[in-house]
Amino acid sequence: MRSRVREFDSSTLNESVQNTIMRDLKAVGKKFMHVLYPRKSNTLLRDWDLWGPLILCVTLALMLQRGSVDSEKDGGPQFAEVFVIVWFGAVTITLNSKLLGGNISFFQSLCVLGYCILPLTVAMLVCRLVLLAELGPINFMVRFFVVIVMFAWSIVASTAFLADSQPPNRKALAVYPVFLFYFVISWMILTFTPQ
Amino acid sequence: MPSKQDSNDDTEDVALFDAEEETTNRPKKSKIRHPVASFFHLFFRVSAIIVYLLCELFSSSFIACMVTIILLLSCDFWAVKNVTGRLMVGLRWWNHIDEDGKSHWVFESRKASSQESKTVSEAESRIFWLGLIACPVLWVVFAFSALFSFRVKWLAVVIMGVVLQGANLYGYIRCKVGSRKNLTSMATSYLGKQFLRQIVVEIQQCRGPVFAVNISFRASPLCTPFSPLACNLCIVH
Repeated sequence: MRSRVREFDSSTLNESVQNTIMRDLKAVGKKFMHVLYPRKSNTLLRDWDLWGPLILCVTLALMLQRGSVDSEKDGGPQFAEVFVIVWFGAVTITLNSKLLGGNISFFQSLCVLGYCILPLTVAMLVCRLVLLAELGPINFMVRFFVVIVMFAWSIVASTAFLADSQPPNRKALAVYPVFLFYFVISWMILTFTPQ
Repeated sequence: MPSKQDSNDDTEDVALFDAEEETTNRPKKSKIRHPVASFFHLFFRVSAIIVYLLCELFSSSFIACMVTIILLLSCDFWAVKNVTGRLMVGLRWWNHIDEDGKSHWVFESRKASSQESKTVSEAESRIFWLGLIACPVLWVVFAFSALFSFRVKWLAVVIMGVVLQGANLYGYIRCKVGSRKNLTSMATSYLGKQFLRQIVVEIQQCRGPVFAVNISFRASPLCTPFSPLACNLCIVH
């Protein structure tokens, strides 16, 4: 789903399919750049779309598989688990912030939370590469450091977008579930060991 | 005599002209103008359902099937919402966030214009609505079957299918109905008409004297055309 300020004439009603695809791809790319360099801006909120969160969620769930992918008892439940944790967690945080009186809409909040999983996905990639070397305390320290840095990056990126939508005395109450959400994902990444 | 013949010729001429006009118009209305869009409209939905049903046969990997179905469902959602809706039936819906941060849902339909290329063709419209309605119904059936046969690991995918395809169905129905009337008032007025029609039929069938039938009804969703209440109104004098 995506939103865009469209004029009520036929300019986008009759555009070619290629234009539509390119426009949507550019919007998704722009949001990824915004997450990598978080600044206070409204772009993520105004033009929300859920493509980025879907891609990141599928990538993260695929990388968190244990065991070989083609066996009979493969990591099926774990894949669905990651999916459910990410989406159910995002929905819960959105409901929480709406109940606290925030003026952000449901899909905008899902969009921001989903896009800010990007640093943790990068951390997962790095961890998988590091795990190709031999296991040991140094290995663990490297992974721990990477995950902590990316976790802090995710928190900073999402609060830069979400904190403004809350009344000032409720900011901590709204940010604390976000902290918990990314903490659970970071925990899943850090404790991952391939068989 | 000549006048009669003239009038005969005139009527014949008019009749021929009408028949010609119909035969030239009918192929245009039922021709498929966007074959690629029609194909893709049905392709993603039907292949998602086929992969779900035949996943046991295709591959023993649950994850590969799940990822394939998820990708097909997302592509189908995007294609139907952004491309096939406006090409095939001229309808479009989206979400718009204004300066204050409030979100509005906009449902738009293309106005009927005199240009030939902009009118909606019958065949495309039928394909569009058939695909749009049949598939969410199937996904709801799958949801119940997954729930009751305890194949819970598929429930995530099936719920995603229901949500995405149901959202498109709801959006396009609202575009079609128009944003001025809402669905509740439309349903109420339809049921009200059915009720009134049934009462009129009953009154006409009643034998006995009916002096004054005071009908004041408020259409409610609980009234059905077959309720025995309609019969009792005949006896009121």
